[in-house]
Amino acid sequence: MAKIDRRAIADAIPLFLPAIPFGFVLGLAATEGEMPIAIGWSTSPLIFGGAAQLAVLTLAGTASIWAVIVAGLVINTRHVMYSAALAPVFQRQPRWMRWLGPFMLIDQVFALTIAHVDRPPDEFRRYYLTCGLFFYVNWQWATALGMVVGPVVPDSWQLEFAPAIMFLGLVLIGINRVPQAVAAVVGGLVGLVTAGLHDRLGILIGAVAGIVAGAIAELRQDRVSATGLLSPPEASR
Amino acid sequence: MSTWSAVMIVSIVAVMTYVMRAGVIVALADRPIPVPFERALRYVGPSVLAALTINLAAGGEGGPSLEIAEAAALIVAGGVAIWRRNLIWTLLAGMTTLWILTALT
Repeated sequence: MAKIDRRAIADAIPLFLPAIPFGFVLGLAATEGEMPIAIGWSTSPLIFGGAAQLAVLTLAGTASIWAVIVAGLVINTRHVMYSAALAPVFQRQPRWMRWLGPFMLIDQVFALTIAHVDRPPDEFRRYYLTCGLFFYVNWQWATALGMVVGPVVPDSWQLEFAPAIMFLGLVLIGINRVPQAVAAVVGGLVGLVTAGLHDRLGILIGAVAGIVAGAIAELRQDRVSATGLLSPPEASR
Repeated sequence: MSTWSAVMIVSIVAVMTYVMRAGVIVALADRPIPVPFERALRYVGPSVLAALTINLAAGGEGGPSLEIAEAAALIVAGGVAIWRRNLIWTLLAGMTTLWILTALT
């Protein structure tokens, strides 16, 4: 196994471990939901996105078919932004990679690979595909196992809260510049104010607010550094 | 729910999810990306992940709601994330805080 593959798997394991309880929650939803169980599980290989899968499985049978579809899609709208964020990197990739890679573009793969966009194209591709395949393959057994084990895990474990903690960790560990911190704080605060909106629209609204705030913060930082108020090394960070 | 309805839901969500993931990458494949757009894209990661965290923790219809134990778990997890820069420690610290405070309250 190449060094880059080992690095990708080593990075992916800590992110996958908390996905296991999520898989159990999903398994519970699949066994208790109104959708036939086999079709419920098929959301893992076909949709491959935990939050949207969970929405589809829990809403199926309790809302109209179109409401279920819209809910799943709205949750996944953030993937448009992931796609946009990685588009410049994929410009340096072969055509087959541009079509295959996005299929695996889940939250964790985005969070991991966005930190490796400066690698040479072939290394980035290898890292991206190893991460993506790792999550894809393991997600299948985790959700299948969740269907068996999920119903017997006690509610008191509160496993449904684990994904929020993981995403918080991802945000904080990924921040190394002031405008990124501004984007995260504004995204989080606006996300909090809009958390009660239907179909998790708050995720989208918070994200857009955070992006605008981050871009404004960067512009301000550029202006301050251009007027010489910051020392050059500080300004370039 | 009928098998046909279930198949239709899963198929449409699956295809549209792929379109959302691949659309911009495939469409922008050979075109220059405008500078302001590229600048904005740098903040997609922290913004979406922060909003997602809050929505998963406090989301739900009827307004934001966060138990004291949950808020404390996030604060402790956040502190550990900044201190250790490690996701497993972050998860362990957050979930342990949640379990202890839930047991106490």
